[in-house]
Amino acid sequence: MLRRNDFIERSLAGALSFLKEAVFSDACALDRGFLQSLDPRIKIITFVLFIIRVLFTRDIVILLFLYALCLALAYYSKINLGFFLKRTWVFIPLFSLFIVIPALFSFVTPGEVLVSFSISGLKLTITRPGLSGAVLFTARVATSVSFAVLLGITTRHFALLKALRVFGIPQIFVFTIGMCYRYIYFFMEIIEHTCLAVKSRSGAKIHYKRGQRIVAWNIAYLWARSYQLNEEVYLAMLSRGYSGEPAALDDFRVGTKDWLWLAGVLIWMSLSFH
Amino acid sequence: MDEPIFSLKDVYFSYLGKYPALRGIDMDIRQGEKITVLGANGSGKSTLLHLLDGLIFPQQGAIRAFGVALQEGVFNDADFSRDFRKKVGLVFQNPDIQLFCPTVEEDICFGPLQLGVGEKETACRLEKIADDLGIDDLLQRSPHQLSVGEKRKVAIASTLIIEPQVLVLDEPTAGLDPKTSCAIVEIILRANSAGRTIITATHDLHIVEEISDRVYVLSREKKIARVEEPERLLADSRFLEEHNLIHTHAHCHQRQAHTHPHQHPGPDHHH
Ligand SMILES: Nc1ncnc2c1ncn2[C@@H]1O[C@H](COP(=O)(O)OP(=O)(O)OP(=O)(O)O)[C@@H](O)[C@H]1O
Ligand SMILES: [Mg+2]
Repeated sequence: MLRRNDFIERSLAGALSFLKEAVFSDACALDRGFLQSLDPRIKIITFVLFIIRVLFTRDIVILLFLYALCLALAYYSKINLGFFLKRTWVFIPLFSLFIVIPALFSFVTPGEVLVSFSISGLKLTITRPGLSGAVLFTARVATSVSFAVLLGITTRHFALLKALRVFGIPQIFVFTIGMCYRYIYFFMEIIEHTCLAVKSRSGAKIHYKRGQRIVAWNIAYLWARSYQLNEEVYLAMLSRGYSGEPAALDDFRVGTKDWLWLAGVLIWMSLSFH
Repeated sequence: MDEPIFSLKDVYFSYLGKYPALRGIDMDIRQGEKITVLGANGSGKSTLLHLLDGLIFPQQGAIRAFGVALQEGVFNDADFSRDFRKKVGLVFQNPDIQLFCPTVEEDICFGPLQLGVGEKETACRLEKIADDLGIDDLLQRSPHQLSVGEKRKVAIASTLIIEPQVLVLDEPTAGLDPKTSCAIVEIILRANSAGRTIITATHDLHIVEEISDRVYVLSREKKIARVEEPERLLADSRFLEEHNLIHTHAHCHQRQAHTHPHQHPGPDHHH
């Protein structure tokens, strides 16, 4: 039987490990595959182009081609396809289901009747344009989500952030997000260690009332801690010469391979529009 | 060797006006010296180092650094501020505070880039320092993935890369294994022989003798209890015990109980 505090503890631990794995894992980004070797800026540009192409097409062939391309890129970037499919198809129903299902039926999309049936006296009709629209929509969502996920897992997150600067996003913004990223992890570790510490001092079983108190106290502590951290980190930045305008290392290099890839994508893009 | 680079006169500091952290500190530090600040937990070591780094300012008394009085307003002058930050580098006690960038490489480069050292020069220094401290393979990692000792090395690197005249270290060997401690002492000594002034706060007596010409001991009353050469100070175990720097250690040798000061003076020490 699941006790109540057990449930809280487990979901907390689960949430933390999911976050660590999903947000902070750089495992795929450190592999030496094709996408990992591209310059992050070029990669972002081409992926944005792909996604734009997906959004502007009504041609299922182009969509299928792009989806296949995405899978091929994943494969050549040494990504486990099973893992990749699981990662992407988790999101797809979330985005599409609620929009697609109503669109199937005649009261949203009128047209040639495909099937009709009735549920508890309500007559429902699925139309041909409704169905093809739904398929098209799902394919679009699937392809663009796949590209976005692929970009995310083959690029180190801080590199992704830094590359945003190329698109005119101010440095201070990038820097602040980078710091948040750094310290969210730090706080996650504090929460995790506190859980362990409570457990080690009280045994696995705590009455949930007491458990709640500990959790509440911890949240308060964490709040105070983050406030203090804020001040101390500011001092640490001052000490190394921070004066309100962060400067960062610009260590991206665009090589021949990047130019070839970019040229290839652009050529395909312009051909596909004719 | 005449004018001290830091001179403190009757410095008083309290947090939020009600938690006194230093009460009347006098101190003179000259170019090229190795200074150690010893003291029990909470005796005000970190506070003193923050004052020296111009991060906080005394409520009474005065600090002069390089002939300029350190006061709230002086750092508003961009030139002075940049000059001072280039001259004085502080390694914080908690490396999680000091390492605030997403990767080790960016963190190490943060200081020089802020201080207007060019990108080329920074990259050059980075390579050298990573090699010196043996942290080449950590550069692309995130600070949160490192062990305490690795974090500390990175923190030292991120300060050393500024090439400060005065290197201020807050407990550089806390929580480190003996070998890593040794490596850090070596780094400190190398920096000193390159002409840098070294100011270290610690309660690790093993390293005191090597890294100091002069030791300031802070008492629990947050005043300076004693200023002394390290050899003489380390010999006075009564004094050290009084200030929580050693503890009397009771144990048995073949069922014969005895007590002696616990100090571990060397690796070959046996009870
Ligand atoms: N942010 C703060 N707010 C209030 N009081 C503080 C703060 N930081 C330090 N103190 C107090 O100031 C005194 C000196 O603290 P400090 O951190 O300088 O000691 P320390 O010698 O570095 O100790 P440790 O060896 O534990 O690092 C302590 O009594 C402490 O309680
Ligand atoms: Mg301290």
